[in-house]
Amino acid sequence: MASNLAVAVMNGIVWGLILALIALGLNMIFGLLHIINMAHGALYMLGAVAAWYFIELTGNYWLALGTAPLVVGGVGLALERGLLRTIEDKPLVTIICTFGIMLALQQLVLMQFGGTARRIALPISFRFPLFDLQYPAMRIAIAAISAAVMAGLWVFLNKTRYGLWMRGVVQDREMAVALGIPVHKVYMWTFVLGSFLAAFSGVLAAPIVSVDFMMGREILIMAFIIVIVGGMGNLWGSVVTAVMISLIQGVGSIFVVPSTATVFSLGFMILVLLVRPQGLFGE
Amino acid sequence: MLRLENVACFYGKGQVLHGATLSVGEGELVGLVGRNGVGKTTTLRAVMGLLPAREGSIRFRGEDLRGHPPYRVPRLGISYVPQGRRLFPKLTVMENLEIACVQAEVDPGKLEEIYTYFPRVKERLSQKAGTLSGGEQQMVAIGRALITKPAMILLDEPTEGLMPLLVQAIAETVQAINGRGTSILLVEQNLKILKDICDRIYIMEKGAIVYEGTPAEIDAAMDVQERYLSVKV
Repeated sequence: MASNLAVAVMNGIVWGLILALIALGLNMIFGLLHIINMAHGALYMLGAVAAWYFIELTGNYWLALGTAPLVVGGVGLALERGLLRTIEDKPLVTIICTFGIMLALQQLVLMQFGGTARRIALPISFRFPLFDLQYPAMRIAIAAISAAVMAGLWVFLNKTRYGLWMRGVVQDREMAVALGIPVHKVYMWTFVLGSFLAAFSGVLAAPIVSVDFMMGREILIMAFIIVIVGGMGNLWGSVVTAVMISLIQGVGSIFVVPSTATVFSLGFMILVLLVRPQGLFGE
Repeated sequence: MLRLENVACFYGKGQVLHGATLSVGEGELVGLVGRNGVGKTTTLRAVMGLLPAREGSIRFRGEDLRGHPPYRVPRLGISYVPQGRRLFPKLTVMENLEIACVQAEVDPGKLEEIYTYFPRVKERLSQKAGTLSGGEQQMVAIGRALITKPAMILLDEPTEGLMPLLVQAIAETVQAINGRGTSILLVEQNLKILKDICDRIYIMEKGAIVYEGTPAEIDAAMDVQERYLSVKV
């Protein structure tokens, strides 16, 4: 029992940190560009699929982790400049547009990659004892990398000029322009950064889930739940909420079947929103 | 230095500026006064490119501002202090000053100059701007405009909603800033302040300039004051 609980808590934290990274990107794009990015899950999936190809080619997971998100960041760049820029400030149109992007990406991957799920071998096969079970060290590495990326993001937002611009644009877009901040460039890089983060989490998750063209669908829903419960526009609220929901689900799965545990976490979301419609950490 | 000629601006289909023409010379402190909704704020927004002028020309040091994207305008040397201060409420006072320095680092000398005008700003540097009083916010807003060493500042009702003592202090600071060589276009509802500190004053009515004169001339033209500003004399 103790070992089951320990594993559930560990898994909850690991998966929560991956979810947090995805939700951060989604929340950043919403806060800055006011875009509800339905394609965010597809970008996550694209990251994992690109990593699979990189690994096929080079056999090196870490190389894939370094390069696949950059490629997807490039896709994000093209999407922002080519499509989203032209429909700026039309929330409904952008929802439909990003939904279309999601479908297009899924079908493209289905054409190239096929419909069967693939697995990526754990790049760190070492396991360490956790009570009477063996826990894969790779999961700890995943959690640590995810936490490190978030710490880096915090430093970027709070200690760099570009980060300051981003925080300014979120609060008062027009005033930012009036101070000489190239707001469109900030939009573009925010979307690229969001796409990069989605893909990065995709590569991080790839060794512990199966990689297929639909893997982004459920993630997208989870990410939306996290952003809403954590408070739209509150990045660090998303991180806390992601870990919390993932823990509820993970620990719940010990006592009930996983689908019932999902019902628990959805019930938790409904409760939160009934009491605090602005989210746990929203203002 | 700044010259607007026959500028026409629209909000949707409603025309707000009907051929506004005015100019501010090198080192001048020029006032723009008029009743609510006559287009004073719109005039400043048109200069900053926040509301594109549909007709006419807006020239700054000979360059047509209408050819520049809005974010380039401040880089040419024009700072803007909007109505309602518009600080970034969740950034600290220091970050509010830093964010204006888009192209360079914060200049320590300029920072010191801001502190001499407003010692309060120095005490509040690490506080979130949203927690400041209205007067303090105005000081930071003016500081934010000064920190880039602009050749010209557009000020939109800097004394709005402040207590009389502060109004006087802000007016004196504006005059002091101008005394150091920065040209200023000052929008106000309070004619008295403008008469105290301005070189010239424009009166605006229904989106166009209807009167231009020195404070002394305006004082003499009582009918003008009565007609356009509802000032009983």
